[in-house]
Amino acid sequence: MAWRGSILERIRVPVMQTLDRSPWSLPRVWNRRLSSHGDDHLEKEEVIERVLSVVKCHPKVDPSKVTPDVHFQKDLGLDSLDGVELVMALEEEFKLEIPDKEADKIDSCNLAIEYIAAHPMAS
Amino acid sequence: MGVAAAGMATYLARRAAQRERVRILYRRALKDTLNWAVHRHLFYQDASDLRERFEANKHVEDLHTIDRLIEDGEAAFNKWQHPDPYIVPWAPGGSKFSRNPKPPEGIEIVYNYGREEND
Repeated sequence: MAWRGSILERIRVPVMQTLDRSPWSLPRVWNRRLSSHGDDHLEKEEVIERVLSVVKCHPKVDPSKVTPDVHFQKDLGLDSLDGVELVMALEEEFKLEIPDKEADKIDSCNLAIEYIAAHPMAS
Repeated sequence: MGVAAAGMATYLARRAAQRERVRILYRRALKDTLNWAVHRHLFYQDASDLRERFEANKHVEDLHTIDRLIEDGEAAFNKWQHPDPYIVPWAPGGSKFSRNPKPPEGIEIVYNYGREEND
């Protein structure tokens, strides 16, 4: 899907073509885009990249060790409270609200990526 | 031998349950800290204070002391809970909970309840 992004970056649609129907309202697609309902779909690659960048930002994590497969406590040397902090940071990054019991089970990058990629409201 | 193993298993189960309770308490307290902080830079200081309060009792081993500490912590959390917490808009209690945008053009609901097949 990398080619899709690179094509979409280069395509330009003339402004008049999209606005000529009704100059005062945004096209429907944009309307939905601007709404905060979060129904936009996230690609798995994007989820992985953003999860890893959040994990790398934690002050106790060595960024060079972070890969999509690491376990927070076993591989990164964090304790359980650091894991809680990481999950909360991920919730903020993806504008999610994860129930406490489910959030408690997320203890590795792999699980976090899987959970967020499958979540319909992640954005 | 069997009794000792059973005792050990009960002990470990209880410790695991306590760990889970502490993790969830820390999670709720950390979120509530964010609710109370009006600016992000205030939150950082509050969060590290909260973390220190948890770290202070990190090495407590006695089961009953741990239970008492957890109960104290939960009582303090309940007492100081924010009355108007931040809720993600789509979540239950959020400002956009169950308010849905219009469907895209070309998708509409047909209100003839399946009659199109019989007529």
